Amino acid sequence: MATRTQSTRADHKWGMVIDLDRCTGCQACVIACQSENNIPLNDQSAFLDGRAIEWIRVERYWEGDYPDIKARFLPVLCQHCDNAPCESVCPVYATYHNNEGLNVQVYNRCVGTRFCGNNCPYHARLFNYWEPVWPEDLRNQLNPDVTVRTRGIMEKCTFCIQRIRRSTRGGKQVEDQAFNPACVQACPTDAMTFGDLNNPDSRVSQKWEDERAFRVLEALGTNPSVKYLKQVDAHA
Amino acid sequence: MHNGEHEFTAGPLPTHQDVARDVLGRFQDLGHRYWGWVTVLAFLFLLGIVGFIIRLSEGFNDENRANWGYFVATLAFIVTTFTAMPVISAGLRLAKANWRRPLTRVTENMAITGLLVVLMLIPALIALPSIDGRLSIWFEFPLGAPGVWDVIGYGTLAFIGLALLWGVALPDLAAARDHLPNSTRQRVIGWLSLGWVGGVRQWRVLYQGSLLAGAMYLLTYPLVQTLMISDFHHGLIPGLKDAIIPATVVVNGLQGAVGMTLLTMYLMRRLGNYEKYFSVEQFWALSKPLLSFSLLWFYFWWASFITFWYGRQPGESEVIRLLVLDEYRGALMISFFLNFIGPLIALVWNPVRRSVWGPALVGTGVVIGALVNQVRLYVSAFSVADPSQHVLHPRPATQWPEAPDLLIIVGAISGCVLLFMLVSKIIPVVSIWEIGEGLRLVKVRRYLNRYARVIAKSH
Amino acid sequence: MYYRRTLTDAQINRELLDVVFRTPMWWVVIVSCLGLIVAGAASAFGFMMNQGLGVTGLQQPIFWGFFITNFIFWVGISHAGVMISAILRLSQAEWRRPMVRAAETMTVFALMTSLLQPLIHAGRPWRIFYWVFPYDWARGIWPDVRSPLVWDPTAIITYLTSSSLFVYTALIPDLAIIRDRSTGWRRTVYGILALGWHGNPRQWKLQGIAGILLSALILPVFVSVHSIVSWDFGVSLVPSWHVTVFAPYFVIGAVHSGVSAVVTLMILMRKLYKLENFIWEEHIDAVARLLIVVATAWLFFFWLDLVFALWLKEEQEMTVWHLRLFEPPWSWLFLAFIVFSYIIPVPLWMFRRVRRSFTWMLWTSLMVNVGMFLERLIIIVPALMRKGPWVFTYDTYRPSAVEVTLIVGSIALVALLLMLFSKFFPLIPVWEEKEGQKLIDEVKVGDRVIPALVKEH
Repeated sequence: MATRTQSTRADHKWGMVIDLDRCTGCQACVIACQSENNIPLNDQSAFLDGRAIEWIRVERYWEGDYPDIKARFLPVLCQHCDNAPCESVCPVYATYHNNEGLNVQVYNRCVGTRFCGNNCPYHARLFNYWEPVWPEDLRNQLNPDVTVRTRGIMEKCTFCIQRIRRSTRGGKQVEDQAFNPACVQACPTDAMTFGDLNNPDSRVSQKWEDERAFRVLEALGTNPSVKYLKQVDAHA
Repeated sequence: MHNGEHEFTAGPLPTHQDVARDVLGRFQDLGHRYWGWVTVLAFLFLLGIVGFIIRLSEGFNDENRANWGYFVATLAFIVTTFTAMPVISAGLRLAKANWRRPLTRVTENMAITGLLVVLMLIPALIALPSIDGRLSIWFEFPLGAPGVWDVIGYGTLAFIGLALLWGVALPDLAAARDHLPNSTRQRVIGWLSLGWVGGVRQWRVLYQGSLLAGAMYLLTYPLVQTLMISDFHHGLIPGLKDAIIPATVVVNGLQGAVGMTLLTMYLMRRLGNYEKYFSVEQFWALSKPLLSFSLLWFYFWWASFITFWYGRQPGESEVIRLLVLDEYRGALMISFFLNFIGPLIALVWNPVRRSVWGPALVGTGVVIGALVNQVRLYVSAFSVADPSQHVLHPRPATQWPEAPDLLIIVGAISGCVLLFMLVSKIIPVVSIWEIGEGLRLVKVRRYLNRYARVIAKSH
Repeated sequence: MYYRRTLTDAQINRELLDVVFRTPMWWVVIVSCLGLIVAGAASAFGFMMNQGLGVTGLQQPIFWGFFITNFIFWVGISHAGVMISAILRLSQAEWRRPMVRAAETMTVFALMTSLLQPLIHAGRPWRIFYWVFPYDWARGIWPDVRSPLVWDPTAIITYLTSSSLFVYTALIPDLAIIRDRSTGWRRTVYGILALGWHGNPRQWKLQGIAGILLSALILPVFVSVHSIVSWDFGVSLVPSWHVTVFAPYFVIGAVHSGVSAVVTLMILMRKLYKLENFIWEEHIDAVARLLIVVATAWLFFFWLDLVFALWLKEEQEMTVWHLRLFEPPWSWLFLAFIVFSYIIPVPLWMFRRVRRSFTWMLWTSLMVNVGMFLERLIIIVPALMRKGPWVFTYDTYRPSAVEVTLIVGSIALVALLLMLFSKFFPLIPVWEEKEGQKLIDEVKVGDRVIPALVKEH
């Protein structure tokens, strides 16, 4: 019932704002995430089987009617909900909320019941149906900071927790925009903003209050840490 | 405590004639006590009408809809207890339970309260806001709903109830007709007995008819409860989506029916010396369904609560705060104790079940709990200002009963009892022929050192 | 009526214990066939473990498929045992006698099989000990009691324990009968199992108390098990799963499919073990009448589910129901489900001739279970296909050969276990039959003699 109270000793509350009016749907964030987080290559058969793994994906939808029609894009990643439906259904605490507002996934605990995947309204959680394999010549490009997930477990966007950890290790103070998740870093139109919502001066905190801001599936009361900005077009 | 039962098992069984003589003797008698009770009840009923008129003078409109909350809750209480009672006799007759025989008529006589229900339904429907622009089970095809369908539903229930009461009572009406001295009352009863002489064909029609009418009452009752809870509760609270609630109120109704039957039997034992008919056997046998219905009621309630609790959606949270955690928490706790905890703690013990006072006490609690529960369900729904919202906001405050509300509650309950007492002097309150039939099917045999009952199963 | 047929104690012993002392050829053939199928399913499981869950038809939003359907299906079947024996024992229904043990053993075996399903379905079954056992072995962290997946094994293991005890308590007098009629190692084994039963009044009294107590205590467990299974769905946010009516709807549906399975089992048993003297038309008739009531109550809950699902007119909920009701192949499956589980069988059961025909009852009861399997599939898969505003599956879920093999294997496993059990223990309780014979009486009413029953109290 009650939304989770934030732990008082937390210094950070990570959040993201995505400006949809700037998004061109170029998929750079998807590719950046893929290589940063050791996600196996999604070939054609992976998509045909419905088993492609994308921690962030770009949803395309149409606005208006032909011929006055516009393609619109919505990058969807784990929303790191404060009131996350996936957390309470896991029997082994493989997913839980940490005190920095992140919804974290502990791969070693996961037994693969996939209940969390069912209960995520954003389709942000993905299951490893096969052992991940990379072509021989790509073996050496794996990111050493990120675990390669075995088959049979769930995975999802972590807000690039390895970068957060590296930058804030030992209680180090970080400046706003000192580091970013791979998707934010790769975004050519600067549509994505990441940062600490506990810091009122951060860029993300300022955009958080933007009048264009909304959350996806807000009526479910999941209270996500990701907001989207979109100008409501009066002529659409 | 065990005496009554022992006599019945070991001693010689009474004959059909004994029963007829005894029942008709009581039936004929219209003493001061009877008229005294009737006068008191009629006075209380008039007070209820006064309360109703006060509410009526304030009129019906959307601003003061909350005024009618207690009226609707009272209506629902009558449907949950008095009008539900024929379900017991219908069900037990279909199940061929032998112990039902002395108590079927008591429950069927309560079918008369269906008339009061239909009368009370009309102002309740006027107080109900239009279904335009809000959610209801009628979706896009109202066809006069909810008013027309609710009246048809409750009218059908009352009609089937009266048909059941009248049809099954025919042999006893004939017996009363032949027994009473010539008087207006005797002539009315004679007319009502429709020339019953007890031919083979008449009996066959009676058997088939009683089973059919009973089955129809059994099927109609859940449907009208579904209508009532959907129209008067569920549709008025924005954000509520509780698919189980019709089943919950049906179980609450069955529970209330058993509770009210136990209470009635107890009062008739104490005030009317009916110990011979309502023995420990009946209390013992009824206590088992009472316990199971209590557990079922909790189970259904819990099924909906845990779903809401886990859903944690804003709409659900507001509803659950209104009905469970906040405004009506006290009401829920009272009915929770009286309808679940109390019966559970008391009735798991065989010595309590196998007594008169135990089931009667628990039954009384269940009846009171049912009243409080109807208040929780319907008063809260009627106090919602705007039923067309998507999320309940703001939640209405707890609404306490005012003087007219109390008058209406007391008056309506007295009215039901009054109707029952009036009917009981036209139709004997104990079914002579059913007991007689039962006596023919039971033999007491000696097995080794104890007595056992041998019951024939006819087809 | 049925208690007209009088049998002597000796005859009861001879006919019911026949198969215990003799191994007919057909038994060996059936058991070997079933064994082969189970072995095949085990290899399919091995293959799946070796390759990963990719060999199933599951895909990204459809995380639960045939295995979970099968899990609910077998938990549902297991509800018959208690329904028949506990409730009918408490209400002293006389017609329960020949079917109680068959129903109870089916409960136990169906539950064991159902417990296998979540194991098979999990991504890393070898780690599941962490999860099923509510004890912290090695991880330094306890299971999360908020998760319905922790309630599941707890409820099912409780149910399995209590129903095994239930079967065993009722079996003891019969074990003693077999012990007294056998020699050699068999006598030793049955002697140990019979726990020194001599049939003295005190032992009978204790056995009776144990039976009644277990019946009463098992009832809440019985209701809770399928409720908890339903809360795997009910407490989630998936549209059309997040419904308050799910718990009783699942329980009554489970009773519907379970009791039908008991009918199937009894008819097959009667044929195989030649139990014509014990299982009569009247027994099947009584169960069929019970089934009419259960099925109609189930239909009421189904109707509530449907009406209130549409109540709020939520877009996602409507999308799911549209998929179920109007889009092939789900629309065809939905039609098959409702026709098989209600529209054909229940009106047929209204006819006395159908209720008393073993052939008709065999096929209608099988039909109900096909329908109920489809029901669970329709609840699970379409909801997952359209749970969010984003559509991934324009195609549909297709179970792979591995999944189908494992489903067939689970049916064969239950059949195999029942065949093995019925070889070593009488499937119809010998002592219950004898007790039933003692309670027969007659009452003379006028010039007619009506069969009667002695009622204790």
